[in-house]
Amino acid sequence: MQPAAIEIKDLSKTYKGNTFPAVSHFSLIISQGEILGLLGPNGAGKTTLIHILCGLRSFKEGEVNICGYSLQHQLREIKSLIGVVPQDIALYPALTAYENLKVFGGIMGLKGAELKNRIDELLVFFRLEQSKHRRIEHFSGGMKRRINLIAGLLHRPKILFLDEPTVGVDVQSKTLILENLKEINREGSTLVYTSHYMEEAESLCTQVAFIDEGKLICLGTPEELIKNEAGGACSSLEALYLQLTGKKLRD
Amino acid sequence: MFVARSALFATDRKKTERLMQRLNFLIYKDFLLLIRDKAGLCMMFLMPMLLVVIMTYLQDSTFNVLHETRIPLLLLNQDEDSLGLAIERQIEASGIFSVTKETAGEAELVRAVSQGKSMIGIVIPENATNQIRKNVKRYVIGAFNGTAIASSGDSVQINIYIDPTAKSSFRNTLMSTLREYAVRIESDFLFKEITAEVDKLSPMPIADIQLSKNQVVFNEQYAMTDKSKTIPNSTQHNVPAWSLFAIFFITISLAGNIIKEREEGSFTRLLTTSCPYYLYLLSKTFVYMAVCLLQFAAIFLMGIYLFPLLGLPSLTVGTQYHLLLLMGICSALSAIGYGIAIGKIATSHQQASIFASISTVIMAAIGGIWIPVFAMPRPMQLLSAASPLNWGLEGFYDLLIRDGGFLDILPECIAAVAFAAACVYIAILYHQKKRVDL
Repeated sequence: MQPAAIEIKDLSKTYKGNTFPAVSHFSLIISQGEILGLLGPNGAGKTTLIHILCGLRSFKEGEVNICGYSLQHQLREIKSLIGVVPQDIALYPALTAYENLKVFGGIMGLKGAELKNRIDELLVFFRLEQSKHRRIEHFSGGMKRRINLIAGLLHRPKILFLDEPTVGVDVQSKTLILENLKEINREGSTLVYTSHYMEEAESLCTQVAFIDEGKLICLGTPEELIKNEAGGACSSLEALYLQLTGKKLRD
Repeated sequence: MFVARSALFATDRKKTERLMQRLNFLIYKDFLLLIRDKAGLCMMFLMPMLLVVIMTYLQDSTFNVLHETRIPLLLLNQDEDSLGLAIERQIEASGIFSVTKETAGEAELVRAVSQGKSMIGIVIPENATNQIRKNVKRYVIGAFNGTAIASSGDSVQINIYIDPTAKSSFRNTLMSTLREYAVRIESDFLFKEITAEVDKLSPMPIADIQLSKNQVVFNEQYAMTDKSKTIPNSTQHNVPAWSLFAIFFITISLAGNIIKEREEGSFTRLLTTSCPYYLYLLSKTFVYMAVCLLQFAAIFLMGIYLFPLLGLPSLTVGTQYHLLLLMGICSALSAIGYGIAIGKIATSHQQASIFASISTVIMAAIGGIWIPVFAMPRPMQLLSAASPLNWGLEGFYDLLIRDGGFLDILPECIAAVAFAAACVYIAILYHQKKRVDL
């Protein structure tokens, strides 16, 4: 068995002014080299959980260790090991793709030829080398998504958090992103990924965790979940998802 | 022991290098964002320069209006005798007024002034000369008889009408000038009439007595120390004042920049890296400090070289460049700190720009940018001591007008830096609170 990349023990988080917790008594171990899909309806607590794991939100209850470091006490060490691909495009629209990557790569500790080579390598990997000197504000949605992803990969993170990385992109871009994510995982990175696309999760993830109302409902490989959960009555992850979380709208 | 200490130094040096590298990339990013924002650059450089030229030109014109521009004056002289003619002559000879004689009557004169056709109207009543002669005769005879006559209240009334749109400051200046002439005319006239009456009554004529008109001479000059050679003028007053005002307007750009980064999500990405928040603020401080100092330099150079070409007095900066730079840096720090706090606390770009611009105007108003602090009511004077623009202004006046030194500007520098530190501290506290509470 692979050592744990992330250990979450009894984690709870309640936003100020709210009575219900966004994350409630959540425990999970993610092994190194996994691609974990966090699936759940809107407001289930996926983004809150990702934000906590990235150090963007604090928490008071529970314990989180990432690569052996305590999230509460060794955040700086953890930040150098993780990469984040936020749900929104987190780039400077007035800067070119290359300038954006140079800035984020530099802040993450790369410099000189190493930085330049890494940017060029990833631009080729995501087929954006022709557009590297264009400003982000002139990019299509799919191109922005790919640059957004590259910005999280520059420093070769051990763990990559992806919050809906394929939302709003065409099939071609989505296919390229997913293929490249698998490749990145093969190179040794652990991926923690949220999505509303069940088929995508089924094809990409080695482990899937269903979350609702801040709680972990079930965890396993997609095949195991389809076979064992809900009495084996569901033929796909999407059907199981609806079975477990219900058809009631969540806003 | 030695090995351990060397290892510690090496770790510290590596850590510092890493921080410096991150700071360099942050500065590079902020610099690119700044130069790509053409409208923002225009607002930060062209607008302040234009503002300084316009305000100095206006203030210079107002300062010179009584000396260079003739004020239109309507004169209705119903006396047509010695006093009326003396007033007419004196007003025309003053060179301040462009006199037009009104003949249609007082009501017509009042209407013309109220409609703004003339700035001022003067009505000399009928028989004014005769009335004064009668009074003088009574006083002189009374004096010779040894029976002092009390003032009978039958003095001559000259009506002065002023354009209602004239500002009170201008009206006061005008009235003070008119009073000065009136006193001169009155004393000349009375002296002549008294002499004539005394000559009639006294066996020893006194008409040949030649009294100097200027028995008391006022020698007006600016209080300056010997080493000072700077002559205060509208440029010396206005360039630092309006430069400071303009520099505080960078708060709009800076706060907007911070909010834009937050809204675009790039700030969130920065937070996921191991880059400390203070480095992010330090980068903004460096870039906007460069902007502020360039603004100062551009406006001061304009005051030195462009103003004389526009007919305005040239700015004299003296030789204490290092102190000017120090004062500039401290003032810029207070503006940057304020911008950072607004950018952190405001929830939208619109909110930040409205708050930053209005609060800057308020701080400028209470800080003495428009009206000198000494001319303000007491409560406002107390308030002005809390305005960062006032600290900057006083510091620059110390250097540019009062020929002060380092110790003179030290209190203002300390106040400006303390204000900046307090603002940044608030921003950091707010940043931490957001992370914990949300």
